[in-house]
Amino acid sequence: MEFFERFAVPHPSPLIYASMVAIGLVIIAIIAGVSYFKKWGYLWNEWLTTTDHKRIGIMYIISALLMLFRGGADAVMMRLQTSVPDNTFLDAQHYNEVFTTHGVVMIFFMAMAFVIGLMNFVVPLQIGARDVAFPRLNAISFWLYFAGAMLFNISFVIGGSPDAGWTNYYPLASNDFSTSVGVNYYNWALQISGIGTLMTGINFIATIIKMRAPGMTLMKMPMFTWSALITNAIIVFAFPVLTIAIIMGTLDRQFGTHFFASTNGGMDMMWANLFWVWGHPEVYILILPAFGIYSEIIATFSQRNLYGYKSMVGSMVIISLLSFLVWVHHFFTMGQDALTNSIFSITTMAIAVPTGIKIFNWLLTMWKGKIHFTVPMLYSVAFIPLFTIGGVTGVMLGVASADYQYHNTMFLVAHFHNTIIPGVVFAMLAGLTYWWPKMFGFMLNEKIGKWAFWFLTIGFCFSFFPMYITGLDGQARRMFTYSEATGFGPLNMLSFFGAGLMAIGFVIIVYNIYYSFRYSPRNVGDDPWNARSLEWATHNPVPEYNFAVLPQVESSEAFWDYKKKGHKLFPDSIKKIHMPNNSGLPIIMSGLFFIFGFSFVFYIWAGVIISAIGIFACMAYRSFEKDDGRYISAEEIKETEDKFGGAGQ
Amino acid sequence: MKIDHTQPLEYSTEQNQLNILGFWIFLGAEIMLFATLFASYFIYENRVGNGPSGGEIFEITPVLIETFVLLTSSFTIGLAINAMRLKRTKAMLVFLGITLLLGLGFLSVEIYEFMHYYHVGATLQTSAFTAILLTTLGTHGAHVTLGLFWGLFIMIQIKRRGLTPATANKSFIFSLYWHFLDVVWIFIFSFIYLKGMM
Amino acid sequence: MKELFPIKQVNGFVFSLLLTIVALSVYFFDMSFQLGMTILLVTAFIQAGVQLIIFMHAGESEDKGTIYTSTIYGVVIALFTVFGSLLAMVWGYM
Repeated sequence: MEFFERFAVPHPSPLIYASMVAIGLVIIAIIAGVSYFKKWGYLWNEWLTTTDHKRIGIMYIISALLMLFRGGADAVMMRLQTSVPDNTFLDAQHYNEVFTTHGVVMIFFMAMAFVIGLMNFVVPLQIGARDVAFPRLNAISFWLYFAGAMLFNISFVIGGSPDAGWTNYYPLASNDFSTSVGVNYYNWALQISGIGTLMTGINFIATIIKMRAPGMTLMKMPMFTWSALITNAIIVFAFPVLTIAIIMGTLDRQFGTHFFASTNGGMDMMWANLFWVWGHPEVYILILPAFGIYSEIIATFSQRNLYGYKSMVGSMVIISLLSFLVWVHHFFTMGQDALTNSIFSITTMAIAVPTGIKIFNWLLTMWKGKIHFTVPMLYSVAFIPLFTIGGVTGVMLGVASADYQYHNTMFLVAHFHNTIIPGVVFAMLAGLTYWWPKMFGFMLNEKIGKWAFWFLTIGFCFSFFPMYITGLDGQARRMFTYSEATGFGPLNMLSFFGAGLMAIGFVIIVYNIYYSFRYSPRNVGDDPWNARSLEWATHNPVPEYNFAVLPQVESSEAFWDYKKKGHKLFPDSIKKIHMPNNSGLPIIMSGLFFIFGFSFVFYIWAGVIISAIGIFACMAYRSFEKDDGRYISAEEIKETEDKFGGAGQ
Repeated sequence: MKIDHTQPLEYSTEQNQLNILGFWIFLGAEIMLFATLFASYFIYENRVGNGPSGGEIFEITPVLIETFVLLTSSFTIGLAINAMRLKRTKAMLVFLGITLLLGLGFLSVEIYEFMHYYHVGATLQTSAFTAILLTTLGTHGAHVTLGLFWGLFIMIQIKRRGLTPATANKSFIFSLYWHFLDVVWIFIFSFIYLKGMM
Repeated sequence: MKELFPIKQVNGFVFSLLLTIVALSVYFFDMSFQLGMTILLVTAFIQAGVQLIIFMHAGESEDKGTIYTSTIYGVVIALFTVFGSLLAMVWGYM
């Protein structure tokens, strides 16, 4: 039995036991349901082995929504725990675990997946491509992300959650202070999903550089595609840093090295340094695609072209470079000299300039536009003032000397949620609503969507604005409770109230999906929003080959030219189309990665060796495999196009 | 697959061009991977704790052998690609074989070197300096090891299938990988060994 | 036989051997740290350039713009990372 003891949760509570039961029941329900409806074949052939960028995108988004609810449950638990002084709902250890998993899940498995999911679905359509450059690699990316996410999520029922914060600072994360296997989970889950993310980065750069429709020069790309290109460039250069940092952390915890120890030459702040060399660019990996989505939505619903296209592109390029030059502002209080802090303080403030340019461009796009306040547009309009507040408080934090006051207080927590929620989360919800008809062929109900929007926005303000005040008053982040004498109680209660409103907002979104699935009309046409870019030029839902005929492009708003200026979008006739084959290899390989990670977490060397051999065998098999894809014949395409009513428009 | 005969085989299909470009972008990521290791190395370089410093454990002879062996292998794989473009399959296989043998030689010396470090008491656990030294060298060595298998698989495929757009493409990409490992070694040679022994 | 050893690559190889020998001078001769580091930096980066252009054919395809951009971008950010980390963790650390 000794073997199994290691899998026990070191710090159990009724909540965790209830989750165990719930997880077990859900798994059984899924297996039973799929078997009952005899959908295993469909699931395997159409989804699990797919290399279609649209389906992979949708799988990313579904996973991201699931993770949103996992991370959201953590958030509500935290706000509940701190809603009144001296609360005993969670103890200190559980609170540590909850804020750690909240951060990791939301950043890595929710926001990243959502961003990559939307990029997967939209980018090839926007540039008029049939798929991404490496469809098989794309599937591997998704499944590695999924394996990492699942590995992380089983931690709280098998062996214990990580508890050193999402930043996982040493020495707290070392064996001395984090005695459970939780931080091992952190290391391996992020390592595995990080490999997938890096591959996505390479894949999308190659796709955007090489596979654009004829006539689409770089400066004629839609803004979301531009943001995706810049984002993926940041991914490619930032993620290897995380890879190395995590390898060093793993060596410290599992092989007894002294990188981040305070003895034998080690240096605990070195982890912080490497983490933020990756971590700050990561912030822009999340926000730049959001900027791209807002650009698309604001132009569409203002009924005019995006103001300042070139300055939009230029500011993103500058942001991508500057994002690698500011990381030290995350530890101004470490003890480096004033000159070092000043340098990083200045680079930090410099980032506000290109960001400010973008804000003005959006405002000027709306200026004199005919604005339609649809749900995506509401999110975009709310984003501008809320994000600006987040940005301004960011500049406050960037003042190195003043940062000694704000550092690690709730002020910081308020600041980054103020950028991430109106910035990233609102953008993802706006983008999801906007592109929903392209994905599924029907629209989400506007009225219910607006209810969700108001709950989320008002809930957001109630949750996070009080934290600015308590933060300035000295409430430290990550404290599991506080005494009544501090006076933090009422404002924290207000935060909890706001969190409740947000939770209701998310539930309304789920209800909206259900309601629209049942009742929304299916005959919405190919262009329900009267949009401008190329993804709206194909059918709803999109056929697997995307475009029967490759579009010919003359501006960044090719579809608008086609609608309003008589531009001929599809000059050629239908020819046979080359498509990639499905493959089971990605999901099998990721399964092996999951076993590899799990075995490593628990030092089960037999499992490590066997799964490593399996992974290399998969790679060798892939090397020898001959797979030239397949062709869809011209007749077959004509048949499909006729069903949609007219070939190639 | 449309094959464009005006291009060298390795560039002759659209997918081939994508593969080559994709691999270049991957090498960009590898630059950052090794840069992170170098940044850490420079920071830990003098943090030796109770263990030895670089100057005390580095030996010039194995390092020189490793350097010249790897430089030569980088030259021979360049010749292999040249032979491939001349459609001289046999010569290409010979050069590829020499490259892999040199790679194996490099690896053997590196293993000897690691054993030497072990014997003089410089292990992963000794100090932050020894740990980062062995991690950096080990990461490079792991890349070489992977390259040996990869190169071998490509040789087998050329032997079986001849020079096709697919095999030529793989060989060219492998050559990029191998040259890149040589560049990394140059930096290890200069900024770890020579700087340490200076 | 001659066509199997193109002059460009042979020259590249000889040049890289020469650069290695120049770099080795920091080991065999006594010199200041500054001079030694200068020699190492110069030889290492030239060596990398030789590999990139002569052996890796970085500039031969239509994608050379992307290839050079991504490589140079990588090198620039790598240098920022190395020197920024040194600034934060060694030179500016009290």
